[in-house]
Amino acid sequence: MSNKQIETQEILVNMGPQHPSTHGVFRMVLSVDGEMITDVQPYIGYLHRGAEKLCETMDYRQGIGFMDRTEYLANFNAELSYVMAVERLLDIEVPERANWIRMILVELNRLSSHFMFVGAFGVDCGVFGTPFLYSFRERERLIDFFEEISGDRMMYAYFRPGGLAWDVPANFVSRVEEVLSSSEQGIKDMDGLLTNNEIFLSRTKQVGIIDGKAAIDWGMSGPSLRASGIEYDIRRAEPYLYYNDIDFDVITGINGDVFDRYFVRLQEMRQSINIVRQCLTNLTSGAILADAAARNLRTPPGEVYIRTEAPRGEYGIYLVSNGDNRPYRLKIRSAGFSNLQALRDMVIGSYIPDAVVILGSIDIVLGEVDR
Amino acid sequence: MSENNENQQLDSFLDNKTKDLFDKLWNIIEKNINDVSITRIDLEEKMSKVDLIVSIDKKDILNLFSQLRENENLSFDYLRCLTAVDLQDQGIEVVYQLYSMSTKFNLTVKSMLSNDDLNIESVTSIWRGANWYERETSEMFGIIFNNHPDPRNLLLPEDMLDVFPLRKSHPLAEIEVLQGEDIEPSH
Repeated sequence: MSNKQIETQEILVNMGPQHPSTHGVFRMVLSVDGEMITDVQPYIGYLHRGAEKLCETMDYRQGIGFMDRTEYLANFNAELSYVMAVERLLDIEVPERANWIRMILVELNRLSSHFMFVGAFGVDCGVFGTPFLYSFRERERLIDFFEEISGDRMMYAYFRPGGLAWDVPANFVSRVEEVLSSSEQGIKDMDGLLTNNEIFLSRTKQVGIIDGKAAIDWGMSGPSLRASGIEYDIRRAEPYLYYNDIDFDVITGINGDVFDRYFVRLQEMRQSINIVRQCLTNLTSGAILADAAARNLRTPPGEVYIRTEAPRGEYGIYLVSNGDNRPYRLKIRSAGFSNLQALRDMVIGSYIPDAVVILGSIDIVLGEVDR
Repeated sequence: MSENNENQQLDSFLDNKTKDLFDKLWNIIEKNINDVSITRIDLEEKMSKVDLIVSIDKKDILNLFSQLRENENLSFDYLRCLTAVDLQDQGIEVVYQLYSMSTKFNLTVKSMLSNDDLNIESVTSIWRGANWYERETSEMFGIIFNNHPDPRNLLLPEDMLDVFPLRKSHPLAEIEVLQGEDIEPSH
């Protein structure tokens, strides 16, 4: 027998930009040693449309549409940050009814976004078909409901600086109740299908671990950060709208692995339902648009950085105004951008098929990463 | 007289809670930060209504940030956002939004770069998350972040090195020239 050593070498494996597991147009180049990933090089920018530059050339109302197109799975949440930034500069008080409706829609949008996540994540883990169809059935109901309100399935443009574009239909409350009860059943279905499934557990437990300290260092936010045990939710830390008056739990994980990121989101969906129920009891009648909100808004010079808790984490708008009717500078801080940076820490040292699961667990939307 | 007016204006912009918080944070910063001259600029016309804003000379940036992060009374461990604003003749301003997970303070730090000297020290050694933000700011404004570990283009094409889209001098139509169309850029 010869003791000749077998020579090994690192291989580069390209994934994306056209790849079903990359959730959009995202490319990563993995350096692999056998099945083990030793390095990862992410490439983004395929969906860059220059939203920030375009917003500088359009007035404040036109900018609302652009927020929809950056974060296309949680449009209400994206619009909220933007209109709140404009309101803060203008110093307008939003009518109470408008704020409660905003809260309901934002939380329902969180539900629909998380349904999308759970379905797509199930596919990433190799449970093809069933979870995707289950979750899309629920998401479809939510989107139908949003269409009834705003007239569009995805690009709502329904929030306005100072309130809402128009009032909700008369059957709003009963429709919300309907959607909530079907979503509740949907969450139960997903929970039963995935959470205790042995194959699912072995794919997700102890995979892609990131500890809380590293997660903060990378600037992660949202469920991906809370899964690492950090109790940081902007709805609780710096309450906006009426989150101060509402009772809800901030869900955290323990291990910071892929399973925790899934489970935190699943439990958060129950919290969202809880929040919407409380909002419904508080919903009052009244105006939906502040009197001070003119059609062609001119903000006084100044700057604000407004952040809200979107389904993926902190969605921030840094708005600089020089007194014109359009932003002088608008920076969109998206949660996916920071969360995706941390991919490197999670992926190195795991196996190639795990890379797909880890990427899925961060729940990126390339529209908001590339803007 | 003018000082009085300023104070009155401030009260109408901010509720007292926020103002107290700003003062409290400013006192802590003054007490705990050494060897760096910081200017508080929230009393000027361009004030923020959300976070305390301070400005600083670019040469002190690493010194200030490492103190802000390490000092246990401040411990700004979370970099929310890093970006720049093109102020045309005055230069380009780099803006850092910081947050502290333990003390819950927010702080905005600004540093002005003059147009003929567009470079600043990278803060990736303090927050790793600054990496992509600096790459994006660099390609969009043409600012060089010294000692950045990976100074390539992030969102723009790899070879788009001499075009800085987010500068005010860059017209929207310029991209058509890059795509091979031989036309004059127009607004």
